[in-house]
Amino acid sequence: MIRPVLLALTLLALSNASLRAQTLPFDMTPERPALTSPTEGQGENGTTEQPATPVVEPVETESFLRYILPDGNLGLTGEFEDRTWSVYLTPRQAAAGTKLNLGYQNSIFVAPEVSRLSVEINNTEIADQAIRSPESVTELSLDLPKDLLKPGSNLIRIRSSQRHRTDCSVQSTYELWSNIDAEKTYLSFTDDTVKTLQSLDDIRAIGVNESGLTRFNFVVPALEQPGATIPLMRLAQGLAVLANMPNQSFSFDTSSMSASRPGEMTVLVGTATELQAYLPSLPAGASSAPVAGFVEDPKTGSPVLVLSGPTWQAIRTAIESIVAPTDVVAPIRRDVITTQRWRSPDAPFLFSDTRLRFSQLGLNTGEFSGRRFRTDFTIGVPSDFYAAAYGEAVILLDAAYSSNVLPGSHIDIYVNGSIASTVPITSSGGGILRHLPINVTMRHFRPGVNTIAIEAILATEDDTVCAPGATGSDTPRFALFDTSEFHIPDFARIGQLPNLAAMAGTGAPYGRSLEAVPLFLDRIDADTLSAAATFLGRLAAGAGHPIAIETVASPAMIGNRSAVFIGSLSQMPQMIFTQMNIAEASRNTWGPDPGGQAQGVDTQAALNEWRDKLQGGFLNGQITMFEGWLKRNFDITLTSLRFAATSETSFTPSSEASLLVAQGPSPDGTGTWTIVAAPTGKDLHENMLTLSARANWEQLAGRVTTYQSGTKTVQTVPVNAFEFMQTQPASFSNYRLIAANWMSTNILSYAVLLAGLAVILGLATATLLGNLGRRQ
Amino acid sequence: MRKAGIILFWAIASLCVIALVTLPINLQTQLIASIVVVTFMAVIKILKAEGTWRLTALAFGTAIIMRYVYWRTTSTLPPLNQLENFIPGFLLYLAEMYSVMMLALSLFVVSMPLPSRPSRAASPGKYPSVDVFVPTYNEDAHLLANTLAAAKAMDYPADKLTVWLLDDGGTLQKRTSANLLEDQMAKARHQELQVLSEDLGVRYLTRDRNEHAKAGNLNNGMKHSQGELIAVFDADHAPARDFLLETVGYFEDDPRLFLVQTPHFFLNPDPVERNLRTFEKMPSENEMFYGIIQRGLDKWNASFFCGSAAVLRRQALDQTGGFSGVSITEDCETAIDLHASGWNSVYVDRPLIAGLQPATFASFIGQRSRWAQGMMQILRFKFPILKRGLSIPQRLCYMSSTLFWLFPFPRTIFLFAPLCYLFFDLEIFTASGGEFLGYTLAYMLVNLMMQNYLYGSFRWPWISELYEYVQTIHLLPAVISAILNPRKPSFKVTAKDESVLVSRLSEIGRPFFIIFGILLLALFVTAYRVYTEPYKADVTLVVGGWNLLNLILAGCGLGVVSERGEKSATRRVKVTRRCEFGLDDRWYPATIDDVSVYGARVNVYAKSIGSLAIDTRGLIRFKTHGSDTEEILPVAVRNTQVEGDIVTIGCLYLPEVARDHSLVADLIFANSQQWTEFQLSRRGNPGLFRGTLWFFGLAFYQTSRGLAYFFSNRGARNKARSSAGATR
Repeated sequence: MIRPVLLALTLLALSNASLRAQTLPFDMTPERPALTSPTEGQGENGTTEQPATPVVEPVETESFLRYILPDGNLGLTGEFEDRTWSVYLTPRQAAAGTKLNLGYQNSIFVAPEVSRLSVEINNTEIADQAIRSPESVTELSLDLPKDLLKPGSNLIRIRSSQRHRTDCSVQSTYELWSNIDAEKTYLSFTDDTVKTLQSLDDIRAIGVNESGLTRFNFVVPALEQPGATIPLMRLAQGLAVLANMPNQSFSFDTSSMSASRPGEMTVLVGTATELQAYLPSLPAGASSAPVAGFVEDPKTGSPVLVLSGPTWQAIRTAIESIVAPTDVVAPIRRDVITTQRWRSPDAPFLFSDTRLRFSQLGLNTGEFSGRRFRTDFTIGVPSDFYAAAYGEAVILLDAAYSSNVLPGSHIDIYVNGSIASTVPITSSGGGILRHLPINVTMRHFRPGVNTIAIEAILATEDDTVCAPGATGSDTPRFALFDTSEFHIPDFARIGQLPNLAAMAGTGAPYGRSLEAVPLFLDRIDADTLSAAATFLGRLAAGAGHPIAIETVASPAMIGNRSAVFIGSLSQMPQMIFTQMNIAEASRNTWGPDPGGQAQGVDTQAALNEWRDKLQGGFLNGQITMFEGWLKRNFDITLTSLRFAATSETSFTPSSEASLLVAQGPSPDGTGTWTIVAAPTGKDLHENMLTLSARANWEQLAGRVTTYQSGTKTVQTVPVNAFEFMQTQPASFSNYRLIAANWMSTNILSYAVLLAGLAVILGLATATLLGNLGRRQ
Repeated sequence: MRKAGIILFWAIASLCVIALVTLPINLQTQLIASIVVVTFMAVIKILKAEGTWRLTALAFGTAIIMRYVYWRTTSTLPPLNQLENFIPGFLLYLAEMYSVMMLALSLFVVSMPLPSRPSRAASPGKYPSVDVFVPTYNEDAHLLANTLAAAKAMDYPADKLTVWLLDDGGTLQKRTSANLLEDQMAKARHQELQVLSEDLGVRYLTRDRNEHAKAGNLNNGMKHSQGELIAVFDADHAPARDFLLETVGYFEDDPRLFLVQTPHFFLNPDPVERNLRTFEKMPSENEMFYGIIQRGLDKWNASFFCGSAAVLRRQALDQTGGFSGVSITEDCETAIDLHASGWNSVYVDRPLIAGLQPATFASFIGQRSRWAQGMMQILRFKFPILKRGLSIPQRLCYMSSTLFWLFPFPRTIFLFAPLCYLFFDLEIFTASGGEFLGYTLAYMLVNLMMQNYLYGSFRWPWISELYEYVQTIHLLPAVISAILNPRKPSFKVTAKDESVLVSRLSEIGRPFFIIFGILLLALFVTAYRVYTEPYKADVTLVVGGWNLLNLILAGCGLGVVSERGEKSATRRVKVTRRCEFGLDDRWYPATIDDVSVYGARVNVYAKSIGSLAIDTRGLIRFKTHGSDTEEILPVAVRNTQVEGDIVTIGCLYLPEVARDHSLVADLIFANSQQWTEFQLSRRGNPGLFRGTLWFFGLAFYQTSRGLAYFFSNRGARNKARSSAGATR
């Protein structure tokens, strides 16, 4: 009951237009019970059920919380799960944090006697409990030892070990889950003043709301003033890099200023005079010198980040005081991609031949007594990664399995959720695998952070019999040792254009640009700026530093430089449509259908339907069967048999699509143009907000990605024809690998080239032999 | 300059191919490329395209093989920390790499063999003097008589031709042996051969001590003669009349020529051919060597001396101190030394002698052991690739010839490698099913196609494998011992005059049955494991398929060691020659249908004679080759067969005087053209598919025959034992 209400509120909160109206409903009444329940139900494991009906209470009594789940509700599934991430606390919060509240509910199938949930903070275990809350959400109120929390990053680790009540099959492990309720999982403080932020470092402590979202609410009276755009975008990027939260967004407003909720921060930007009306207690120096710092809003009691000064020039200086430390002087190589706010440790950034021990990747030696063991780690690959078609990484696995593990068990490797390799266990009687090489195809790798999971499916005789209590047996069956290694060989590196995945992963190619990137906004208003800031914030966080931009009034000034276009599609310059291969008709036609139904018939769908209907023919059937066989066994489709890429077909956004991100070359092919467009400015703002959430943003790929707000889905149009962009100094070994990948994509080219070269070699040999030795 | 340009272009083309095949492309691409290449090769083969297309097809195959090697080297070896897998896995890898290397060497040798030389008859009036050496050790006088008679009958000015019988069986050492039996035999032999030589007009020569075996014997002959050229014939190799005329001419052309080698043509089947009954329809094993490899070697001026049927230049031999005798294959060793001192050789691709080969499996193996051990000695003592004086192609050619004899090692490994997995569950080859299809299967197909392309009409599919397999079991220890003790092997004369009259198992056939049993067991294990371990059935099936192939070979091997009994001791040669048959002072018109070294079959036109009694004396009157005088050969009738007006009479020669031997020799050996025709009659390429089917059929039949021999043999022995027990 609580959740739907909250959701509605959250959705309301996301709408910029209703900011002012939010103050009243935003007193978060539903949270009151959540806050009080742990104190009452403590020690009883949340036996007291709280009434679900919201109780309206005055806003002043709301105490300060830090929600800790980075992505909203956290599902712990299967027999074993281990999640680690970090939460940034200000010194005051660290000193005053005394309790961790944790709410969870689990599947009815989880056997409480043998299933444990444990919580660690900064490597100190603060809870290790039986999982026994199938009926409703149970809240645990966990006391934190004194001095456990530190100012800065605090490592939080939640581990679950779950066993089925009755079933011993591997299939049954998918029925095991515990859901950590984000809304009931937070740090609470003895002292209510902890919400006061003091130093600029405290920006990192912005945190998340109960859905895992983070938002910077900019209030800028002079928003539409053209000169303000560049510093504001720079500030947004700086804040994005500092906070580096998984689901962060920016919204702009000219007037209203509301109380900050958890996971939100109000940022007030303007000259002293402009801000006078908003904040009576403006810092004293603001009218004479640049000012950057936190001020408490007397109306709401929330801290407000104020950037002010006598002129916009001074404001720029104030902004620099925040942003400058995040700048990188020269494009240096990062060793890691920072992910620790949602996943720790950070993903090591791999550019070339590298071997990493599992211990370096955050995996520990561990024994496992269940039937499906799964663990994972992350690595980062650069934006010019070009080895998906041919590449193979290797996991050198150190593991052991006990004698009761039956042959037929297997160890599977998943890359970003797709299966990449399977190693069958073929011998009985147990075994120790010492650096067993497992080839992992790089097909599912993408620029940016990649998750590689290792799953062991362990069948035993005991499980077949499944005597009562067998699921709870704690005899280890499998052990994974942290001496295992992940080895990535040198891989082909060359930029591809278009490649939205590279942009999403590491901000490429804009992150590498040494000059300011032209930014074309069709108009300067709150919606467009919100979308632009959110988008650029994403790029900056991906690149690890702010990207210098300049605004251009007219697309003609861009020339052939790499640029970003943000606005409604109808206002986009004509060149965009040609360069991105988007049907120009969509300029006028795109938008939600008034009738709510698709008007025209989708040609492709209709064709497929007809094809399905006509599947009866014998020959046709045979061909289809053969195609299926090829696809199943060798992953070859008739379309993959090609010499080279075919040219792109024109793209028309569907009426369901509410946001479009597309990439294409500049007219002479040297620059990368990216367009973020929606039917209207409002769509642009709202959908950019949603798309920027990590789960959606990671799906950005291909040449066009659209977001459908109706179905909350992300769709991509794969790249067909693309251009190479040199990113590395020319070297034979790199070109060789690039050729390998290109030919692995354009399969027939290889065959034809091989045939051609063989003919030439044959001719050469014939000539050679005709001229050497005896002839007659 | 032009040559350098061509070499550069070829090198660049090769580098491009190497660069392309070493790209780490994905499996799908490899699969498609393999299919395209195999299709291409098949089309070229089906169209029977020759010349440049032949080399193109070979280039295709080479590309696929190089890809296989690259893949095999980079991604299939078991990890080093699993020694139990790594060691056998690495051995298998070495065996495969050896095979690939041998294929590369033979590609080099035979990718463009020299076409058969046009006849180069000696210029009349410029005949150099020739000494013909017929070395002998223990061959009987009858055999020698034919050879000597044929040698003597060669068309050549009599004053320029001296035939020498070099007897090592009647040396002073033997005649004064402490062994009484040996001593008596040697004395008798000495006496008999002296008389025979006297009759045939041949010089008899023996020496004091049997030093350096055949090489020593030949060198002794050289010491006592002065001819410019030396022709060497083994005791059982009888030359055709035109032998010298067809060979000595080349010496006139090239003053640095030391050797003209001609092929060895055999009148009788080797034990494999005899037991498998393929002699009449399938090219002999040695035809691949003489029909194509020697021609290939000849292109690179590396055709080598094969011990007989060759003419050598005395001047060249003098320079290197005569025939070399360090190894037990003095022939090849002599050639390598002379090639290294800048002399040239020529190969004439036309059978000009006919000889015998070992009839029993045991002596066949004995002969091959000598060759293998001798080649190991050459490899050890001369190491051709680093031998000074040889050109680079010659080095490669000699490496190819000597390294070939290492085949027992890879053959053994290929035989037992599948068992590592089937019996011991070792994983010595890491690859998935798809990879196996895309790389290994393509490689195997291409390999077979290339072999067929290179040797198609000289060697049918799987026959090389069969010959290698049947030799491996006994050659492996011989080769190992020659490697370990290169000075130990001694020259053993191969017995060629044996015959198998009664069907029996070869005395050295037992291991074949043991191996067959093990492989058969492995077949059952395969079936069992496919059934009980379905999760790795794919691997088991692939390995089991490999084992099945071995089993088929081993089954065929059972047939090889099951010696068929034969009524006639020697092979008959079809001649069709007019003659007259004399019986009781009457002469009937007749034709000689076929002849052997012991007798002939004659079709007589005679209404009246009817069936004749056995051992009736008769006469055959015919014109000798190239002359108009008629001569008479006495015979004895063995059988008759009446069919209308034609009576077919099988008769046995009864040579009484030396001249009769010459007549027999004239009948059999005079016309070399007939041998060529016989060879051509069985040359034909059945193609990969048909050839494979045929082989599998043959193997199946031979397996059953081998098993039948095995059990009847055991039954016979048991019966003998039990009856012996009963009588006791």
